[in-house]
Amino acid sequence: MIRTEELLLNVGPQHPSTHGVFRIVVKLDGEIIIEADPVMGYLHRGTEKLAEELTYTQIIPYTDRMDYVSAMTNNYVLVNAVEKLMQIEIPERAQFLRLIVMELQRIASHLVWWGTYLLDIGAMSPFLFAFRDREIIINLFNELCGARLTYNYMRVGGVKWDAPDGWLDKVRDFLPYMRKKLDEYDTLVSGNEIFLARIKGVGAYDADTAIQYGLSGANLRCTGVDWDLRKAQPYCIYDRFEFDVPLGRSGDCYDRYLIRLEEIRQSIRILEQALEQFPEGGETMGKAPRVLRAPEGEIYSAIESPRGEIGCYIVSRGKDKPYRLKFRRPSFVNLQILPKLLVGETMTNLITILGGIDIVVGEVDC
Amino acid sequence: MTDLLLEDLTWRSFSLFLLAGVLMLVLILGFVTYAIYFERKVIGWMQMRIGPNRTGPLGLLQSVADVTKLLIKEDTIPKKAERTLFILAPVITFIPSFMVLATIPYTPSLHFADLDVGILYYVALSGVSTIGIVLGGWASNNKYALLGGMRSAAQMISYEIPFVISVVGVIMLSGSMQLSTIVENQGGGFWHWNFLPQIIGFVVFVIAGVSELNRTPFDLPEAESELVAGYHVEYSGFRFAFFMLAEYVYVFAIAALTTVLFLGGWHAPFPFLDFIPGIIWFLLKFAFNVFFLFWIRATLPRVRVDQLMGLGWKVLLPLSLLNIFITAVYYELFIR
Amino acid sequence: MKGIFKGMGVTFKNMTSPKVTYAYPDVPLEMPDRFRGIQHFDPDKCIVCNLCAKVCPTDCITLTGKPNPDPEKRGKVIDTYDINFEICILCDLCTEVCPTEAIVMTNNFELASYSRDDLFKDKEWLTDNNTNVRQENNSAMPKGGAKKSAE
Repeated sequence: MIRTEELLLNVGPQHPSTHGVFRIVVKLDGEIIIEADPVMGYLHRGTEKLAEELTYTQIIPYTDRMDYVSAMTNNYVLVNAVEKLMQIEIPERAQFLRLIVMELQRIASHLVWWGTYLLDIGAMSPFLFAFRDREIIINLFNELCGARLTYNYMRVGGVKWDAPDGWLDKVRDFLPYMRKKLDEYDTLVSGNEIFLARIKGVGAYDADTAIQYGLSGANLRCTGVDWDLRKAQPYCIYDRFEFDVPLGRSGDCYDRYLIRLEEIRQSIRILEQALEQFPEGGETMGKAPRVLRAPEGEIYSAIESPRGEIGCYIVSRGKDKPYRLKFRRPSFVNLQILPKLLVGETMTNLITILGGIDIVVGEVDC
Repeated sequence: MTDLLLEDLTWRSFSLFLLAGVLMLVLILGFVTYAIYFERKVIGWMQMRIGPNRTGPLGLLQSVADVTKLLIKEDTIPKKAERTLFILAPVITFIPSFMVLATIPYTPSLHFADLDVGILYYVALSGVSTIGIVLGGWASNNKYALLGGMRSAAQMISYEIPFVISVVGVIMLSGSMQLSTIVENQGGGFWHWNFLPQIIGFVVFVIAGVSELNRTPFDLPEAESELVAGYHVEYSGFRFAFFMLAEYVYVFAIAALTTVLFLGGWHAPFPFLDFIPGIIWFLLKFAFNVFFLFWIRATLPRVRVDQLMGLGWKVLLPLSLLNIFITAVYYELFIR
Repeated sequence: MKGIFKGMGVTFKNMTSPKVTYAYPDVPLEMPDRFRGIQHFDPDKCIVCNLCAKVCPTDCITLTGKPNPDPEKRGKVIDTYDINFEICILCDLCTEVCPTEAIVMTNNFELASYSRDDLFKDKEWLTDNNTNVRQENNSAMPKGGAKKSAE
């Protein structure tokens, strides 16, 4: 008689496809996973605790390092919470600049996801295609605020820099280019039968499960729940623009893939409108006091980051530093469904599902 | 050389064989060095990169530097590994890969051992390499390596069968398993090459062949993004180099075998081009086959393990059986 | 199979497309003017107001002042000024608050060294780091101390 044994396999923290230092302990029966236990915390830096000792302006560079693929939205969520608490008016021009950088960031972030997801699935070229186009956005940000990843661009009351000469034209030129490249991506990958067979029907869940697990972003919308904070609770100036929220039906990796690619197209649409309506002249900093003392109170502000609902909860005791600061990180929340999804799947699907959730370990561990 | 093989072994013939073997080995090493270089270059170009360009002029010495690095690296054997098998596995993988080359005819005169059962010889020996991979995966005493080794075994069993059966059509048309006879029968223009009458067999052969090579999209045994490095995760230094060497020698072998079986070997595509020597045609076709392997590596994602089995058993095997049937009918009706 | 062939067409076409890589170590990277590189420090402009050290989120700036050697002038002059680049995150906050633009960003970014000790830069080193200094320093942010507000 053959005696079989379960295999306890430690995937990560050093593994090519766990997107950083994430770790999953899986119990395998052959190649079938019977139990999965995610272990996180290898990149924990204690941002929330550190923030209690920092002034609001000083926290902004720390948010850059949370979701380092999408630093602009992180900047915004903190700044927005403080502004709401202090009731600071933001000048029109600053609003537009914020929106433009956030949507560019969404494109850049989805490009990183697209490239790395295909790298996980085993295709090498898409990664470099995506990074070629992301490089353009990164260079635009570099011109705007002097850094390629950790922008530290937004400030309470506005933005640090006005757009340099010709910057908006460069963004304008980028949009049609990106549209063309998206079509190239579709020809390269989206019709590939091997790829479709890999992701169709994999990691599916229904809307109820998604809501129970508190998923957000593409992970929620792939089940058909129409919940995009840009539409549901408009922040910044999103209510002025026309765009669609792509929805899925089956809640599998394929739907999540299509939604993310479609979101890039919708971001391009928003950017086109924003560039058209961009105000001539005007301040980029509102009337914010030099020392930011938030009044006593609590605030929660949530926005739609590329990965889902990112939120910032501040408890203020009237000092220039927060009494308690908490980030609701979409990567962390979305990850909670992973053990449930993995049971009964193969090792290969582990990578497909984990990649499809789109985590950034800096944000998971915070 | 075939005549020499049939005679009794003397010191003279032995030293001749040895010389030919060493020559071939040097040639193969040169091929592997520059195949790796061109693979990296080609994939680089496809990804808008330059590829290796730092070592030597145009990066031509890159692979040499890489191999030198591997050779002078510390030889590590994990403490809990099955020592004998761990050492033996790369050898078992490599030797058959080199042995199969003996039977491939490059031109009517340039070949080593033109066996009557050339195809059988190739298939039988190439199967042995997989044992080396499975052994290496098991002996490493590493879970990733074990999974990789097991995948390799499953893959070999599923794909060896359609691989062989897809060739049966060619054998039926040529009436011989001797590779040089098969090529002879394809003379006189590209419409006589086997890939046209044997199109189903050709497609199955290419897919199964890529799978035999353990290369993208069938690189499951080493699946970088899933199993880290699969069966050779614990290997380093020259033992790892042997696995790599075996892989690229098989690239050579499969590309040459495809040329011989389906693409007319040394024959020119049009009769009026016959003045160009056969070796040039062989090399051209061979180079195209190698390029094709690099090309799909740059494009395709990896197949999932269960889909791989499904493809092998449910699609390729019936197709190749159907191909035999069709070939038999065709042969009965038109050729006999 | 159609999708696979289309994809292979894309990769084949890209073989001749222009290369997008940088030849970085051979050709230096040109960073835009606003790039936040290693700081340049001008001791003559410094008024020892300590704002940069206070605003630094990682506490990497340490400075001391001494009384002005010229007895007719009031105030202090800078004595030591050190930035620890092991922990500096080049966030730009120090240059943002500096009222006199004594500390400004440059476009130099090559900091790699074989020893962590080399990353501790003192006043002289920062003063000598005077190439590629950022031109546009008055961002939209109000300057600390000085009452000028940039447009």
